[in-house]
Amino acid sequence: MNAQPPASDTIAAPPERRESLWTKAAYKFRRDRVGVWSLAVVLVYMAIALGVVFGWWATSWAELEGGKWEPPSAEHWFGTNIIGQDIFDRAIYSTRTSFEVGLVVAILATALGAVLGALAGFFSGSWTDEIILWFMGVLDSIPFILFVAAIAYSLGDTPYAMHVAMISTFWITAGRLVRGEVIKLRGQEYVEAAHAIGVPELTIIFRHVLPNTSHILLVQATITFVAAIKSEVILSFLGIGVKDGMSWGLMIAESTQEVLAGFFNNFLAASVLLFGLVMAFNLFSDALQDALDPRTVAES
Amino acid sequence: MELLQFSVRKLIAGVPLVIGVTLISFLLMVYFGPDKTFDLLGKNPTAEQIAEVREQLGYNKPFLVRYGEYVRELVTFNFGASESTGEPVTSLLARTIPVSVALALPGFILGNLLGVALGLLAAYYRGGLADKFIMGSAAIGMSISFLIVIIAFQIIFSSSFGLNLFPVRGWDVNSIGDYVSYVTVPTLATVFVALGYNTRFYRSVIVEEMSRDHVRTARAFGVPPAPLFYKLILKNALIPIITRIMFSIPVIIISGSLLLEQYFGIPGVGKATYDAIVTGDQPVLKAVVALTAILLVIVQLLTDILYRAVDPRVSLK
Amino acid sequence: MAGFSLRTNYCVWPAWVVLVLLLAGCGGGSDQPDPSLEGLRVYRHSTEGTPTSLDPVQAATKYSNLLVINTYDTLYSYRYLARPYELKPNLAASLPEISADGLTYTIRLRKGVRFIDDPAFPNAEGREVVAKDVVYSLQRHFDPATRPQGAWLWQGKIVGIDDWKEAGSDYSQPVEGLRALDSHTLQIKLVKPFPQLAYTLAQGYAAVVPREAVEKYGREFALQPVGSGPFRLESFDTARAVLVPNPDYRWAPVDIYAEGYDPDTQSFSGIEAIHGQLPPFVDRFELAFVQDTSARWNSFTKGNEIQIASLPVELADSVLQSKQPVVLQPEYAARYHVKSDIEAGFVYQSFNMDFPEFGYHPDPIQAERNHALRCAVVKSFDWEARNESFYFGLGAVFPGIIPPVVPEFDPELSRDSVTRDVAGARQLLIDNGWNADNLPELLYGSTGGVRPRQFFEQFRAWLVEIGYPKKKVKLKQFASFGDLNKQWRESRLPYIAVGWGLDYPDAENTLQLFYGPNAAPGSNSSNYNNPEYNALYEQAAVMQPSPERTRIYRRMNQILIDDCVSITGLSRTAIPIWHREVIVYPSSQIIGGYYWPYIALSDGAGGIRQAQTESP
Repeated sequence: MNAQPPASDTIAAPPERRESLWTKAAYKFRRDRVGVWSLAVVLVYMAIALGVVFGWWATSWAELEGGKWEPPSAEHWFGTNIIGQDIFDRAIYSTRTSFEVGLVVAILATALGAVLGALAGFFSGSWTDEIILWFMGVLDSIPFILFVAAIAYSLGDTPYAMHVAMISTFWITAGRLVRGEVIKLRGQEYVEAAHAIGVPELTIIFRHVLPNTSHILLVQATITFVAAIKSEVILSFLGIGVKDGMSWGLMIAESTQEVLAGFFNNFLAASVLLFGLVMAFNLFSDALQDALDPRTVAES
Repeated sequence: MELLQFSVRKLIAGVPLVIGVTLISFLLMVYFGPDKTFDLLGKNPTAEQIAEVREQLGYNKPFLVRYGEYVRELVTFNFGASESTGEPVTSLLARTIPVSVALALPGFILGNLLGVALGLLAAYYRGGLADKFIMGSAAIGMSISFLIVIIAFQIIFSSSFGLNLFPVRGWDVNSIGDYVSYVTVPTLATVFVALGYNTRFYRSVIVEEMSRDHVRTARAFGVPPAPLFYKLILKNALIPIITRIMFSIPVIIISGSLLLEQYFGIPGVGKATYDAIVTGDQPVLKAVVALTAILLVIVQLLTDILYRAVDPRVSLK
Repeated sequence: MAGFSLRTNYCVWPAWVVLVLLLAGCGGGSDQPDPSLEGLRVYRHSTEGTPTSLDPVQAATKYSNLLVINTYDTLYSYRYLARPYELKPNLAASLPEISADGLTYTIRLRKGVRFIDDPAFPNAEGREVVAKDVVYSLQRHFDPATRPQGAWLWQGKIVGIDDWKEAGSDYSQPVEGLRALDSHTLQIKLVKPFPQLAYTLAQGYAAVVPREAVEKYGREFALQPVGSGPFRLESFDTARAVLVPNPDYRWAPVDIYAEGYDPDTQSFSGIEAIHGQLPPFVDRFELAFVQDTSARWNSFTKGNEIQIASLPVELADSVLQSKQPVVLQPEYAARYHVKSDIEAGFVYQSFNMDFPEFGYHPDPIQAERNHALRCAVVKSFDWEARNESFYFGLGAVFPGIIPPVVPEFDPELSRDSVTRDVAGARQLLIDNGWNADNLPELLYGSTGGVRPRQFFEQFRAWLVEIGYPKKKVKLKQFASFGDLNKQWRESRLPYIAVGWGLDYPDAENTLQLFYGPNAAPGSNSSNYNNPEYNALYEQAAVMQPSPERTRIYRRMNQILIDDCVSITGLSRTAIPIWHREVIVYPSSQIIGGYYWPYIALSDGAGGIRQAQTESP
């Protein structure tokens, strides 16, 4: 039940071949049919989400447009819910919520992990490292759902309580990976050279070392994205997730009281859309990981 | 003797972790947690009664005093009684933890055994049809939300709309038969969800070991497949496997499976803790957090010792 | 990866074996009944909530109250079958003798009633219940150490009780107005007449506890009822409780006519079978706490699990053939009984008058505009749709705060305040200069969860229809009811959506919700404070039931409606549904929990299942 993103098993690429790594990765990715298709699906979802943001569709998700539990019709493609809202609109609107949660959490958690991981790795063995490692260990030790619930409740009515909670646990995996990578990079000649000509340490870390871990960060961000949207569903079901708006988790929570009466519309609409996005993103993430893995470069 | 020294060192090194976990959890769950005052008051309270209850709950004391009390309770492991029910926390834990363990264990064991087996097969037939099928299924399994699986399985296996084989909910265990009937559906759900992750993990671990230089070399020198497999591959793969399994233990014991317990109405420690968070039942939270931290330190120690047992080259330093 | 593979099969066969064994081992479970229960009459009940404390002083929720009144004795209880609810003596030998001025109550206890055997007593033998126990049990509500929740029922009403608390809650000190005249006579003296006193003595709060057990068990007393009621608790956790009949209880043959039996409405339940029979009719009473509606329904329909549940709203249309009266579809009717059970209480929403945006305002012109705004929101509210969506369309929508279940209810009252009028609401807003820009933000507080959110979304959509900007109607969800309640008690939310369960069937219990001196932190969360209303309340509160009192009650009700303080109200209707083999006429109300001892199981031939006698 621990929903933290699993560590990516990418093995680091040698930094001096970074340019070729990215071009080779792009080449390999284009040849990966599953990867391309899954990216296409993710982009379709993203287009849907953008449309919601710009108000092109699903604008009337909150209005009472029909009767109670109307079956699917030309007007309401997935029928209506208990108070007569259009389920199709709500499911589409939730795409935006999912992307918002996924992107915010993935970007911020990865960024936080990158910064703290780089600091810990660069100064490994020092107090900075010890404190960051201790902090990681501590946050890792508190069971995920309980931790998130505690944050959600202690932040009370803040709409971003869930985001904060996820970010504060999800950054750890990225942090550990970056730390390990930076420790390896620290010994590289170009870092020592930079040191020798007096480049400030922070500049070395963030200008020269951190960019060389970007392939790890990219893969880790996609993994975190998926973990975030899956967690959102469970947290929303428990009543500590999305506060404002609509989400697939809220729709599934709503459906638990309806499926037995034969009203599957909420359940199906939310589950199918959620499954599609998670599946596509998982496959995309895998393909990305394979493309960025230098060992598969050698084989193809 | 070396082992004892090592253990003592390791336990002392665990103190900062315990302090960190308890401090952060205390801050979040207890200090900033929900206010229990109004749960304990009647419909028409007076200001005087409100003040009395707040005083009894200790809300008026400064943070350091309250955390200090917590540390004292931690050392004596005496957390008092639940504010909601009056049940002593120790008896609450003694009642709920075995239930959670009994609930989670079959799924955990099955999920890992099946995961190892499928991971092995996928690695063995790597690139083949079996590999593609297994990993494809794993990808699908990983993409279905646990919540959806639970809802669907309950309808399929337990309701009169489906197979109606098992009790819908509850935990009334007096015999092995009872146990099997209550644990089956939650176990199936756990296995279904965990299997995708486990299979992927074990496959990657085994593939990793298979492509190591010494394995390649051994094969080149004509070591027969079976010894090669068990002596070189599986044995080295044990380290990540042990890590994964050992670090799941505190989670199983303490947080249980909240969703399962909530949905199937099982009186385990996960649900008890969650209820305590929701209602701000401080003594229960304090005890659970403390227990988690201590268990974690012990697990880390045991993991290190196990590494040594598996691979003598690992030194206990 | 072409370089490596193991060609011999035998190193993976263990993996295959594991797979096959595990898959084979996943076969079905067994449904073997527990052999120790063989031949016992087991009844399996369920409720949708879990009791937290079983200490009578903390019996605030319906679920705690249910267990308390069935394991402890109360002086009074309600007749099993009489509707509206009627009080009857329980531990008391008769209804109280009341002095002419209405200030002194003399209550005589039954003799020979004993507490259950418990290690708390000498020799672990239960002793007789005496008047002192009643005094002690009520005093506990004025002892902060017990964390009591029912003190508000009696504070300021019983002579000397508040001083007794002030002086440190010393049980060795007497309370002037609460005395045991002899071992079986209790005297209560009141500061002013309190016609509802006898009702309060039928609540779980007033259940009689033995001091020995309270002192022996300390905090754990809340888990370990030691009472003299019809059942004793065998086990209790967050998922279920098991009760067994108390063999020493004063069981007597049931006279259903004395209990208020009405053949026209109740004969369907087969209740006549218990007439003249001697309870207990079950040997073991298992009570499951199932919060999840669909899980509860699943369990109910399985057949061998819980035998009573509440029909989920979602299923009303597929399970019921008709709603008024409630009739099951034939395939369900063959297995279940059903009744409709109107709530002793109601749900309502209210403005917090402390907020100058909606409520009282020092500027009379603004106050008038606020009044118009409140009335517009009242008009926007679609009670019929609310009822249809969430309450089977079976809830009783009524104007004001005197619900249908109390005798003072006025069926003739104008329904304008519960009739939706979008055009009227818009006009009212325009006439008073309200527009999308100057309308104040409305913050709707609720607990977490699906239903409160649906309530909010429906409400917001209605407000949008009268011209409220969607962004100005906001939801604020709280972790627990305690946290939400705190906001209300501290007057921090402008809008209150809440339910009220009646403590006794007298409209005084709802009218006090708007009595000025009960303002926050009291039960008047609306912080309504109208001198005229307050004066009428004070006048009526000391009156015995009479047409005059009813007239005053109704006048107060009208004042509230005219002030547009509240959007009210609806009494929900629960649909208890139970297996046909159970003979019961259940009630889902907090005041209706006294039916458990009468529950029987049918023998399938019009009689009740008898206990198995030991064969020699």
